[in-house]
Amino acid sequence: MRLKHVALTSLVLLTPALGQPSINNPGPSGEWTVYPGSYNSQRHSPLRQVTPANAHRLQVKWVYHVAGSRELEMTPVVKDGVMYIPQYNRVDAIDAKTGNVIWRYQRQPASTAPYRGTSVYDGKVYIATSDAHLVALDARSGGVVWDVAVDGGRRLSGVAPMAANGKIIVGVLDQPDGYIQAYDAKTGKHAWTWHAIPRPEDPEYKSWSGNTKEGGGAIWMSGSYDPEQNVIIYGTGQPNPPYSNEVREGDNLYSDSIVAIDVDTGKLKWHFQTTPHDQHDWDAASGSQVLVDAVYEGKPRKLLMHADRNGFFYLIDRTDGKFLRGNSFIDDMNWATGLTPEGHPILLGDGAKPSIKGTLTCPSTAGATNWPSATYSPETGWLYFHAVEGCGVNFRSSVTPGAGTSYIESPDDKTKWVSHIRAMDPMTGKRMWDVTEVRSNHYGPGLLSTAGGILFAPGQFGHVAMLDAKTGKDLWHFNTGDFITASPITYMLDGKQYFAIASGTNVFAFGLPDAGGKP
Amino acid sequence: MKRLVMALMFAAAPAFAQSDMIAQGKAVYDKNCTACHGADAGAGDRAPAIVNASATSMRGERSDAQLLNVVRNGIPGTAMPAWGNRLSADELSSLGAYIHALRGTALDAPLAGDVARGRAVFFGKGGCDSCHMVEGRGGVLGPDLSNIAAIRKAVAISNALTKVQHRVYGDGGVHLPSPPIMAYEPVQVVTKSGQVLDGVMRNQDAWSVQFMTMDGKLHSMDRSGLKSVTIRSGSIMPTDYDKRLSADEFKDLMAFLTRQGMRPAPETKEAAE
Repeated sequence: MRLKHVALTSLVLLTPALGQPSINNPGPSGEWTVYPGSYNSQRHSPLRQVTPANAHRLQVKWVYHVAGSRELEMTPVVKDGVMYIPQYNRVDAIDAKTGNVIWRYQRQPASTAPYRGTSVYDGKVYIATSDAHLVALDARSGGVVWDVAVDGGRRLSGVAPMAANGKIIVGVLDQPDGYIQAYDAKTGKHAWTWHAIPRPEDPEYKSWSGNTKEGGGAIWMSGSYDPEQNVIIYGTGQPNPPYSNEVREGDNLYSDSIVAIDVDTGKLKWHFQTTPHDQHDWDAASGSQVLVDAVYEGKPRKLLMHADRNGFFYLIDRTDGKFLRGNSFIDDMNWATGLTPEGHPILLGDGAKPSIKGTLTCPSTAGATNWPSATYSPETGWLYFHAVEGCGVNFRSSVTPGAGTSYIESPDDKTKWVSHIRAMDPMTGKRMWDVTEVRSNHYGPGLLSTAGGILFAPGQFGHVAMLDAKTGKDLWHFNTGDFITASPITYMLDGKQYFAIASGTNVFAFGLPDAGGKP
Repeated sequence: MKRLVMALMFAAAPAFAQSDMIAQGKAVYDKNCTACHGADAGAGDRAPAIVNASATSMRGERSDAQLLNVVRNGIPGTAMPAWGNRLSADELSSLGAYIHALRGTALDAPLAGDVARGRAVFFGKGGCDSCHMVEGRGGVLGPDLSNIAAIRKAVAISNALTKVQHRVYGDGGVHLPSPPIMAYEPVQVVTKSGQVLDGVMRNQDAWSVQFMTMDGKLHSMDRSGLKSVTIRSGSIMPTDYDKRLSADEFKDLMAFLTRQGMRPAPETKEAAE
């Protein structure tokens, strides 16, 4: 089914201030200025130079080696012809056309901890440091515009600092508990902190009982921004302890939740919990929060699409967080039989509770999908994502409450992990096409789609491929020679469309040959 | 070495005790160590360098404590004797302070002067902020100086302000981890349509050139569209600040610059998703 799209123009017009990416960018200029490419996280580009008809002519344009790095999980951004490659304590700014370096910023010490992105906004590039600072660099020179110690003193997680309506949004992990923070983009002044694990004055504090409130709710990923409501829509991580849930009765809010938070005030507008009382470490943070304006059941709706690590897809009204529909997007699921009308999982028995002898759990803790990006194409109306079939075995070390736990890939050939690239109609749950990845059992890398009809699908073992978004047909492929864990981007520069992806310690850029045949 | 001693002569007030100790340490070094390790600890006839003269950080070198242990206990089986019995505790610690200063950067021994007045010179009479940023303000044509004292010795900063032949960047021909950024060389680019652009270099290859024009705008141009690219060696930066400024102003500016930087805490371990 092809979706009818409405109100896209009005969204563009409502985008607040000059210099901000619109909800629908990369936009005509073909830039990629925030981690998900656009505020709606569709990771869909309007660029159409590369099509299924010419994709076979793609070639490498340049490779940039990020010396001293370790397997990059980073998605670069591109603005005004410059590509920014962020790490903890470091940014490399390179010419996005040639791959030639323009400036480097290195704050001591050099860090190889996983770092996932940045935003270029208000003339600045933003990164976290390993000693709990947040830094803004002049996008032209790498000069330090501000460098502030973060409020609370905890090191920020490796999520991309997200620029939204004058604020830079960041987060921390779950030891002891996750929170999201906003800082003023101009000055670095701390604006607010939202706690993923409720404080006693929060009504959802009662969703934790038993003898522990250990926390959790890691902010593993940046999310989306809805300029109309002025809310960020983010996912949170699992409750702690992750598997031994008997010591934390209740739903354990706001763990494993999608949350909408007002950018000006930091107040929670609504929440939707995907896995209440989680016992498998299925972070809701590990899945894209895709914002789509489309007709659902005959009415134009402001929708949120989310494929979750627990194996369910959720269609949600993003104005109030109400569940509209959902479905399992994997073949084998053994912890729940489906979703209630409110979108809560209907458990099968004890929901595959981890045990001393080991409990087969489908999907596994690694997840039916994970943090590398999904993409939504308004052209096809389909959501594309990595789906991992197969199961895990979850163990606990003893019957003692709060006992230690672990998980492994299922040793059984029939339930081992197999990665798929999957196209799904989000309005019906129907699988439109499916590509089984050879050798890969991993939940990544990320995907993007284009108005040219391309699905850019890099693979775990270094093979990047362009697929026909309508059919999944392989149009072109190339071996980068190293693992790929990151998510890709596309951008337009001087009349040429580029695709870029981090592989190992390098960034690759691809495009069509010039008329003269030179790269 | 003369330059360093001159630089140290500026030191006063809070830095006095430290600089006093460094001077003592130099006397101990010159008397006992030069014969093998050479002047300024930069390698002699019979023993290796203790200080890598071209390095701008101490990463990968022995810590001060490790180094002093070697001095105290010697290295058995080599010509390096144990100095623990030959030097007093005071001599040993002053020797440590001297080697630390040799190996350290400006931030380890910031120069004396009026820092607030130095800031006023930076953003005022000196005009430094027309090209350089500090404290989040200033121009983008030259390198950001927010952390200059943590990566350069005081003498290197002073040289950059006063000597035509100074090294802005470069590690003395050692193997670099990746292709370096160009050193802000002045460039004039003339396009085939006759447009003349003046700026500083960022990078180039046989097919393209990346540079920043004086208005702070970055450009990447295909050489096929250019008539000429003329790069001059050296810098657009004046090197007569010891004459443009009074002695006090220069001293205050150095006091300001030798405090621009930080030594962040070591990295902590963090879980990976």
